[in-house]
Amino acid sequence: MLSGVKSKPVYAPLVADTGGRYHLLLGMGEGNASLERVLRELYADRPASLQCTRVLFASPPAGGLADKPFQNFDGLQSVMQFDGSAALLERARAVLEQSLMGTRLYVAGPETFIGRAVQLAAAFGLSKDEICAEHVGSSARRVHCVHCRASTEEVRTNIVRCAGCSRWLSVRDHYSRRLAAYMGVSADAEVPGELPPIRELYS
Amino acid sequence: VNSAQTLPVIVTGVEQVTPLIKHFTLASVAGEALPAFSGGSHIIVVMRGETRIHRNPYSLLGSPRCLDTYEIAVRRMEDSRGGSHHLHDRIEVGSRLEIAHPVNLFGLHKIARKHLLIAGGVGITPILAQLEDLQDGAIPYELHYAARSPQHAAFTRRLNKRAGARLRMYYGSAGQRLDLEALLSSQPLGTHVYACGPARLIDAVLATARKFGWPDSHVHWERFAAPPVGDAFDAYLARSRVTVHVPPDRSLMESIEAAGVEVPYLCRGGVCGFCQTRVLELEGELVHNDHFLSEAEKTRAASVMPCVSRARCKRLVLDL
Repeated sequence: MLSGVKSKPVYAPLVADTGGRYHLLLGMGEGNASLERVLRELYADRPASLQCTRVLFASPPAGGLADKPFQNFDGLQSVMQFDGSAALLERARAVLEQSLMGTRLYVAGPETFIGRAVQLAAAFGLSKDEICAEHVGSSARRVHCVHCRASTEEVRTNIVRCAGCSRWLSVRDHYSRRLAAYMGVSADAEVPGELPPIRELYS
Repeated sequence: VNSAQTLPVIVTGVEQVTPLIKHFTLASVAGEALPAFSGGSHIIVVMRGETRIHRNPYSLLGSPRCLDTYEIAVRRMEDSRGGSHHLHDRIEVGSRLEIAHPVNLFGLHKIARKHLLIAGGVGITPILAQLEDLQDGAIPYELHYAARSPQHAAFTRRLNKRAGARLRMYYGSAGQRLDLEALLSSQPLGTHVYACGPARLIDAVLATARKFGWPDSHVHWERFAAPPVGDAFDAYLARSRVTVHVPPDRSLMESIEAAGVEVPYLCRGGVCGFCQTRVLELEGELVHNDHFLSEAEKTRAASVMPCVSRARCKRLVLDL
């Protein structure tokens, strides 16, 4: 869907940045296939660069992985599997704490996962040219209520009830990198109870 | 920004701080507060010499919190076209000068987690003001300052006071060397590096940062190129319908200004890109001396930075 909102994140297929010295790859669900592509590119450029490459990945919450990913890459600095995004990102934080300038971050997975990972990276001072993100999987949104500031997770519809204040919120394309969430604004402020049709937009 | 708008100032202090560097203090002629600035800013000093007007960029080195005066440091350049000699030889306490408002092309990156400041020689000047912006201690920093010898190192007392243990000095005379590889290969994520000094130092910082995977967004540098001398040539200004002659020791921009045509500028040192001018016709070649245009743009020769660049040509038509 086209949007005139400038803050709406734009994603692109992951590409290995061979100018980087260290590489940290974070993947979730179907995004892991994109990480494998990056690893192949890094290997093709310089096999030894895998020794400076870490992979943290999680399977989708619902099901398991078809087979073991990343097993064909010898010499990776480390590969770690996690049950969900929370544990993965906690580990990513610990890795970033120890990381040096010259590190590139690659993220592939559902949009909320990317949002959380980019939010974490920003806290470590990473700039746009150090982060590459590819959206693979769910577009469900995390919505920040501009009235009560509560977050509503896994939002798939244009209108949603706020998990904090129960207001009906209209889900905007305006995105906050700091909050890793789209903005939700009262949908029936003019005439309480009068709502536009509720449609599923973000699946 | 209207580059033609200048502010009259009076020199209230002159101090020879090293054999080559003089430190000037400037105040508003009207006794008013000077315009606010942030660390890393420069001003253009306009000097009316006997035969020509010099307009040179100098970094402000004083505290951005003190606007009663501006402080600049001027190194006497060997192959000067006259600007630094004019300031060194003719300007004394009580002299009047004109300055253009401060512009910052070398500001500190506000969301950095650490600042790594690298200075060589008189390149310490913008960093002195940046240190003032770092005094609240919210963001860690290191300052690495290389100079020929203790005698040639300006402002060391002030630096010691402001930076304390965060300052590392390197004196060439004592055989001390700044190990850029060790420095740039060991910085934590979120560090921004700032380099100011001789071309050799800046080139080494850029090359080493690239080698160790630093992205461009974390590497900042400032070097004002003095307009190099070159062959004389003529340029026709299409919109103004005048031909200007550019003698070997005068820049294209100075020659255009001498003909009464305004060129917008901020830095006059080939850095900011403000004076980028379209080339409409060219028989010959451009001599690009700026740090703004990419190599591809320089080859394409569709535009030129008249502050520092020249031409070797039979005919040059500019969109001015």
